[in-house]
Amino acid sequence: MNLAGLKPGQKGRIVSIGAIGPLKRRLMDMGVLVGEEVKVVKVAPMGDPIEVFIKSYNLSLRKNEAEGIAVEVLA
Amino acid sequence: MNGQTVVKEQESPMKRGNLRPVEQRVVTIAVAGNPNAGKSTLINAIAGSRLHVGNWPGVTVEKKEASFDYQGTKIRLVDLPGTYSLSPYTQEEIIARDYLVEERPDLILNVVDATNLERNLYLTVQLMELGIPVVMALNIYDEAQAKGYRIDVAQMEKMLGIPVIPTSATKKTGLDQLLEVAVSGEKGQQVAAPHQLNYGEDIEAAAELIAGSLRNSHPGLLERYPTRWLLLKLVEGDAEVQKTTNLTDQSLLSEALYHLRRAHGEDLEAVLAEVRYSLATGLTREVLKKPELPRTEVTEKIDRIVLHRVFGIPIFLAAMWIMFKLTFDVSKPLADWISTMIAGPFKHWAEALLGLIHAPEWTVSLATDGIIAGTGNVLVFVPMIFAMMFFITFLEGSGYMARAAFVMDRAMHAIGLHGKSFIPMLLGFGCNVPAIYATRTLENPRDKALTALLVPLMSCGARLPVYVVFIGAFFPKNGGTVLWSLYVMGIVLAIVMGFIFKKTLFRGDAPMFIMELPPYRVPSLKSLMIHTWEKGKHFLVKAGTYVLAVSIMVWFLLNLPWGVEHKRDSYLGQVGAAVAPALSPLGFGSWEASSSLIAGLVAKEIVVGTMGEIYVKKAEEKKAEKPTFAQDLQTAGSGLVKALGESVNNVTSTFGVSSLSTAEDAEKLAERTPLREELKKQFTPLAAYAFITFVLLYMPCVVAAVAMVQEFGTWKWYGIAFGYQMVLAWSMALLVYQGGKLLGFGG
Repeated sequence: MNLAGLKPGQKGRIVSIGAIGPLKRRLMDMGVLVGEEVKVVKVAPMGDPIEVFIKSYNLSLRKNEAEGIAVEVLA
Repeated sequence: MNGQTVVKEQESPMKRGNLRPVEQRVVTIAVAGNPNAGKSTLINAIAGSRLHVGNWPGVTVEKKEASFDYQGTKIRLVDLPGTYSLSPYTQEEIIARDYLVEERPDLILNVVDATNLERNLYLTVQLMELGIPVVMALNIYDEAQAKGYRIDVAQMEKMLGIPVIPTSATKKTGLDQLLEVAVSGEKGQQVAAPHQLNYGEDIEAAAELIAGSLRNSHPGLLERYPTRWLLLKLVEGDAEVQKTTNLTDQSLLSEALYHLRRAHGEDLEAVLAEVRYSLATGLTREVLKKPELPRTEVTEKIDRIVLHRVFGIPIFLAAMWIMFKLTFDVSKPLADWISTMIAGPFKHWAEALLGLIHAPEWTVSLATDGIIAGTGNVLVFVPMIFAMMFFITFLEGSGYMARAAFVMDRAMHAIGLHGKSFIPMLLGFGCNVPAIYATRTLENPRDKALTALLVPLMSCGARLPVYVVFIGAFFPKNGGTVLWSLYVMGIVLAIVMGFIFKKTLFRGDAPMFIMELPPYRVPSLKSLMIHTWEKGKHFLVKAGTYVLAVSIMVWFLLNLPWGVEHKRDSYLGQVGAAVAPALSPLGFGSWEASSSLIAGLVAKEIVVGTMGEIYVKKAEEKKAEKPTFAQDLQTAGSGLVKALGESVNNVTSTFGVSSLSTAEDAEKLAERTPLREELKKQFTPLAAYAFITFVLLYMPCVVAAVAMVQEFGTWKWYGIAFGYQMVLAWSMALLVYQGGKLLGFGG
């Protein structure tokens, strides 16, 4: 399962980050790290991007950016 | 290293009867922090009107600076761009770290959002690597307290080894204390360098190994850079640092990092990020107590409505509509008043004054039609720029800008743009100039440039008078459809050009979207005012000079050689005649048409005015009585009152966007009857449609050009815009004219 596949309200724990280079670094700088708990809050009205709750703040990212983030579903 | 600079006044103390030399310490403070941590508000609250807004050299990122005295110490505040990290990827991060590493300020003021401690401390950890004294402003402290957060400030100071001062920039608490600590060195209690945090055995060992070999092989490097920062960057494999230090493939690095790589894998950058975050997480856990049951936040409630799956887009469009209305409809009566003042009273007064000193006729014309009219061309933009800046700053400060991007990104991304591009594009329909300035809301240089390149295809208000005259003359029955077709053509071509640019000029990965959705906050009025004022002033001074120069140039073209009987013989007419053959395949290859188009460089609506001057003989010029000085003054006063009234009225009147309405233009149209009659003789309907197509698409006006050059600090993007728009205008007009002829719409 990847982050883009979670439904709003679903929680997951990040297992791995497939992105490389600047995208990976940017994600990590924003607190998207392996082991972190993440919750999908919303999907934008047109279906993309998505809003997630991580490290007690809200982050938005495009689905193609979220696809590389593997998660295990928590609830 | 103590970087404090001491400036001794050169004055002899004896002469003043004062035996102590007067010394003034200068402390340079770099302000660093995450975006949305209230950094701007804090700086505005401290420095206020002493703030100077400019750009970082060579880039489009805003730079704020202020110098002022505090308790006998001269403080120089330098605001660094808001960043989440000091990695070398975004423009903002590169600027911030280059400044910190190269310029070595005396002190870093780290603004931290107390409601979002963990992610903010991740930057703090990185700032502490630099070995520069750090003072932390634990900002938005009031909000954190209201949320029930309990932060152990003393514990935080102890763990980090830096002074931590709770502040609220909006309520102006803690600011004095902050400055006091910042200058406290004077009393012999210099702010100490922060603790060196332990990054774990493996990393510390690797750093030590590198330090050891550098001491032998590159001693200069350790002098030149903050040591700990350099070592950690080398462990991390920071591409920029490897490049500037020339240590890319040195064996000393691979030896030192061998064990680290074996234990943690190849991606040491990720390892360092994890270590820094775990430090931030650990610190947060130690000092922050959150209430057991978090309440539903206001932000969450607002977002439930504003980002709603069904209502999200309508709400966004409504907000945009209000913004558009406020930007253009509020400023329009004021702009109109300014242009009436320029064309009326100011012109009369200048004429009268010059008449008194018996100035030759051409100088009167140069002064009134060239200089005063040119100044007017700049001034009419001022209300609009102020209104737009106010709005954009409000949207950003309140947190809605990020939501706007979130809602629109899908659609804008499809044509290679960013969700935030929507606002500049929309503003473009009012006027391209504020639209180009509004691209500053986009962080990524690629997104910004592409947006600015496409903005001129949005048909602005200045093109409307041209359409209206031609539609009145040639398409009185289906004017609405023709007008609509032009707007749609602009949008469709923007989409097409977006695709083309994406595949050519901007090949490669689209920039990322990853963006914080900050909590909603009420922006401080002072902050809004300072920002708006600084931008408006900037425009007046910088853009004003260029626009004035071009206006005077056009005056020379139009009026020289002095005293020509026929406009055809003026320089403008001559240039027009030279260009005309190139336009004849488009159906309007006359010197009159091309001269008018050239004059449109000043502003596209000038095309109509120039045509009026050229086509319609001057014979019918009204010899109206010139108003007296007193009458002029009265007109000015009552005009302003009326304009202000209209501004207010435009806000409250709910329907329609008056700056786009043609009602008023219809009024003016009656005055243009002779021109319309003349145009009917000169153009076929098909050629007329080709002509307005050309006006829609050809080069941006000079004010838009200046905006582009000023925003990007280079002529490059304007050059590209000019080039592609000329080609596009020519090809589309050709397509319309020749295609129309083939389809049998007449020649």
